[in-house]
Amino acid sequence: MPDLFLLNISASSIFDAASPEAASIRQLTFEFIIAASAVLLLVVILTSYITVKYRSKHRHEDPKQITGNRALEIWMVSVPLALVILFLFRSLATMNAILPDRGNHTPDIIITGHQWFWEASYPGTTVTTANEIHLPTGKRILMLLNAADVIHDWWVPALGPKMDMIPGMNNYLWLTINQPGIYDGACSEFCGQQHAWMRIRVIAQLQPDYERWLSEQTTNTHIPQDTMAKAGAILFLESTCSSCHRLKGTAAAGITGPDLTHFGSRQTMLTGMMANDSGNVARWLSDPQAVKPGAHMPRFIFAKDSIRALTAYLEQLK
Amino acid sequence: MENKLMVKLVVGTEAMFFLALIMAYIYFSLLPGFTSRQADHLDIRSTAIFSAFLFSSSFTFWRAETNFKKGKMTRLKGWLLLTLALGLVFLVGQGTEYARLLKENVSISSSLFGTSFFTLTGFHGLHVLVGLVVISIVTTLTFMGDYDRSSSSVFGTVGIYWHFVDIVWLFVFSIVYVLPHLHKITT
Amino acid sequence: MSDINFIPEPEEPIPSLSVSNNQGILQWISSVDHKQIGIMYLWLSVLFLVIAGIEILLVRLQLAIPNNHFLAPEVYNQLFTMHGTTMIFFVAMPAIFGFTTYLVPLMIGANDMAFPRLNAFSFWTTFFGGSLLYFSFLAGGAPDAGWFNYAPLNEYNYSSSPGIDYYCSGLLFAGIGTLTASVNFIVTILHYRVLPMSLKQLPLFVWMILINSFLVLAAFPSLNAALAMLLLDRQLHAHFFSAAGGGSAILWQHLFWLFGHPEVYIVILPIFGIFSEVFPVFSRKPIFGYGMVVGSGVAIALLAFGVWIHHMFATGLGNTVNSFFAASSLLIGIPTGVKIFNWLATMHGGAIRFSVSMLFAIAFLIEFTIGGLSGISFAIVPIDWQLTDTYYVVAHLHFVFIGGTLFGLLSGLFYWFPKMSGRLPDPRLSKWFFWLFVAGFNITFLVQHALGAMGMPRRVYTYPDLPGWGILNLISTIGAFLMAGSVGLLVFILVRAIKKGAVASPDAWDANTLEWTTSSPPGLKNFDRVIPVKSTRPFRDYKRPEDADWNRPEGARKHEGKYIPQNNPHGK
Repeated sequence: MPDLFLLNISASSIFDAASPEAASIRQLTFEFIIAASAVLLLVVILTSYITVKYRSKHRHEDPKQITGNRALEIWMVSVPLALVILFLFRSLATMNAILPDRGNHTPDIIITGHQWFWEASYPGTTVTTANEIHLPTGKRILMLLNAADVIHDWWVPALGPKMDMIPGMNNYLWLTINQPGIYDGACSEFCGQQHAWMRIRVIAQLQPDYERWLSEQTTNTHIPQDTMAKAGAILFLESTCSSCHRLKGTAAAGITGPDLTHFGSRQTMLTGMMANDSGNVARWLSDPQAVKPGAHMPRFIFAKDSIRALTAYLEQLK
Repeated sequence: MENKLMVKLVVGTEAMFFLALIMAYIYFSLLPGFTSRQADHLDIRSTAIFSAFLFSSSFTFWRAETNFKKGKMTRLKGWLLLTLALGLVFLVGQGTEYARLLKENVSISSSLFGTSFFTLTGFHGLHVLVGLVVISIVTTLTFMGDYDRSSSSVFGTVGIYWHFVDIVWLFVFSIVYVLPHLHKITT
Repeated sequence: MSDINFIPEPEEPIPSLSVSNNQGILQWISSVDHKQIGIMYLWLSVLFLVIAGIEILLVRLQLAIPNNHFLAPEVYNQLFTMHGTTMIFFVAMPAIFGFTTYLVPLMIGANDMAFPRLNAFSFWTTFFGGSLLYFSFLAGGAPDAGWFNYAPLNEYNYSSSPGIDYYCSGLLFAGIGTLTASVNFIVTILHYRVLPMSLKQLPLFVWMILINSFLVLAAFPSLNAALAMLLLDRQLHAHFFSAAGGGSAILWQHLFWLFGHPEVYIVILPIFGIFSEVFPVFSRKPIFGYGMVVGSGVAIALLAFGVWIHHMFATGLGNTVNSFFAASSLLIGIPTGVKIFNWLATMHGGAIRFSVSMLFAIAFLIEFTIGGLSGISFAIVPIDWQLTDTYYVVAHLHFVFIGGTLFGLLSGLFYWFPKMSGRLPDPRLSKWFFWLFVAGFNITFLVQHALGAMGMPRRVYTYPDLPGWGILNLISTIGAFLMAGSVGLLVFILVRAIKKGAVASPDAWDANTLEWTTSSPPGLKNFDRVIPVKSTRPFRDYKRPEDADWNRPEGARKHEGKYIPQNNPHGK
């Protein structure tokens, strides 16, 4: 059952390089593949040739007993050594190009890994969002990566290197995205029960689009329009939702769960697990553990009407 | 011969174990606030005294070993008993220090200092205890007359272990007590 | 000075592989004979191989199709954790120690290990450790944080079932057993060689075990310390690895990989030893570059302690640290790679016999090269930044552990099985097993390289239906079942051979080393007298005195060619 929301993803392999960082790793990877294939080919040819040519033909023959050959042994060491030194220098150069010293740059975005969602905040603004991470194209940005509970790992293959997110530590990553698009990634360090559903969606936008998105995000929670959503808003604040989730501009200020201020504007929900539509939201609200076992959201016993009201409210939070 | 080699190998691998614990201790001691807490809670003077007992037990065991080689059984028994007594004083000393720290609410779960202090010194204390059990068995056997011929390798092998436990304490004492104390004096 | 004769003299030959003798199972449980303990190690390994195999088949079933609901995530996580932990600590290690315990005394002309009772202790401690680990399933849940069990996921807050406590205590027990066994191996090799066998005449398998045992003594304490600290964290609320209490999550990784990377070599060096016995025998030539094989083994052992950071290139330690460890990690590839050419050169100009043992050895050359080369890509830091913790790593490590370690163990099994059992396995079925296993293995793991490059992280209990992911995972699952089927065939082959296989001659392969001079299976007392040892191939010298190694210019020094009484071990 292919989910429709997956279809608009631009790239997800390490060969679909969409940033100079990823491109330079891809270049190095190609060089490595060529060298490695040559070595493998040599071993395969030698093995086949020797086993065919020197297979035993008689029962008790003893070939010439050779115990070594100094010249050959020196070749056996020096050729791999030369290859290895070559790749050491290539990888040092690439490392320094991809991950130069941070100097006194301030990060453009702070991403915090949680069990099991990504929190993204944009320094210099009041914007905090979750899971779908908007970034500008054509600009070199510095990302600050850390974690709130266990170790997570940021990895978007098309955008280059991964980086661990370790509680109590700040890690940094440079990134320049070439083209607008949606880039798919995933948490790449085992982080517990729902490690599988900790997918990353980077939404890269041209600078003006990005600016527009950012200013939209600075607005407070929309006031609900219809009665259904109004009922949902009241429920949200009265039930315990607000102790874990934040709705900017309302009394809901919890920070343990993802920020829901603009939840309705996201394409996916539950960290890339499914499309964000009212059916999925309703299913999630009625029994979180059935949808995503182990998730830290407890099950609340809501009446059917309440779920409908909450769903309507959340879907309006554009 | 092979018994001695065995004990040397065991001591070697134990040394790696303590190296890992000591590295962890140093790693944490570099964090801010650790050293001052360490110097505040530890009493280098009393610990130095009961450490001296442990260090001298190495000497007494060495005397026991030489007397065994010479076949002087009465002296052997005397030095063995003295070694046991000295080791025991060390453990009692460590016990009182633990009791005092716990009374001051410094425990293994109270802080990072407590965690690393009790783990490192605790594992060392455990090794002293094992050494004392072994030595008391050897002493009992000596009194029962099991070692009347001087061909046994037991004193040589136990000696290697006992000296090792002492050397470990030399490092632990320097890192846990002496260095922060010096640091406190100089600042 | 005759303090080596602790073992009672035999009245009748010992039971070999079957337990149907007058004293039954008790005879095994109470045994201090190195051959019986070796065989018990091997059976223990087979038992855990079947268990860990079933675990991973369930995992592969879950992954066969995208968005699958066959296993709940908590079950899945326990299964893959137990699979990895079991395979490393209770399959690979006991299998290697089984061969070692069985063969080292025989290959050096000794009648038993230096400390037979310590040998039994080592085995039973390992057995107890494994049982303790598996008891966790009954005690409320198996460990679920992966075999390297990263902090702080391994802390009580994030894994509150007792599984990880059993992981710690089980591995501590097994670790103690491993350490005592290694001490025993070293003392045996250094002090119990038959009289003129010098270190330069040690069979290469014994050399590798000697190096390996030192590696164990240096590496395991780091794991034991980490496990002890973790137990203190979980049981007494210490703060070693919890960032919340001021501790350090990264410290666990340092301690674990300071053990873990040497451990990778601990399960491959003995395998290099096995192949260095198999290639010469089935090529009818001496090993090419004996000194080089030993020297590169020593080089690997030393370098093994300077490469652990390459498991942590993505933890943000900085370019300076990463550069240093990139260099050392690239460097360690050389002594490993060189050995491949040593074995190729050994075959070159030989007269190759394609026994099943040799087939595994030849297949190993190619599979291990693949695993070695994909390993090199992790030493190239930027490539590591893309591929670490993906299915590419899963493919790499299985090419090394299966294409290397397991192929070596199987090669050794088919090589020494006639010695241990006195029987020959069915050659036709054995060849079937070889081809099925190699095919299943490649089908399972080759595609995983691609999955990693396409962006699939490891240890996910399910995955979205991205293009290509479903079909590649399905292929991998089919391969896994093919492998499982062939392992079933192997067990059938072995059991049948033990029951009614053709009787093997004492020197089944026209081999070179001392273990083949005994009867098959050897009696309780290995040797009454040992043939003279004047080169690395004493038995061949004995069988072909006109072409003896020591008689050729490059051969070893000359000695009187008389039988040497066994009760006069080396170094006394």
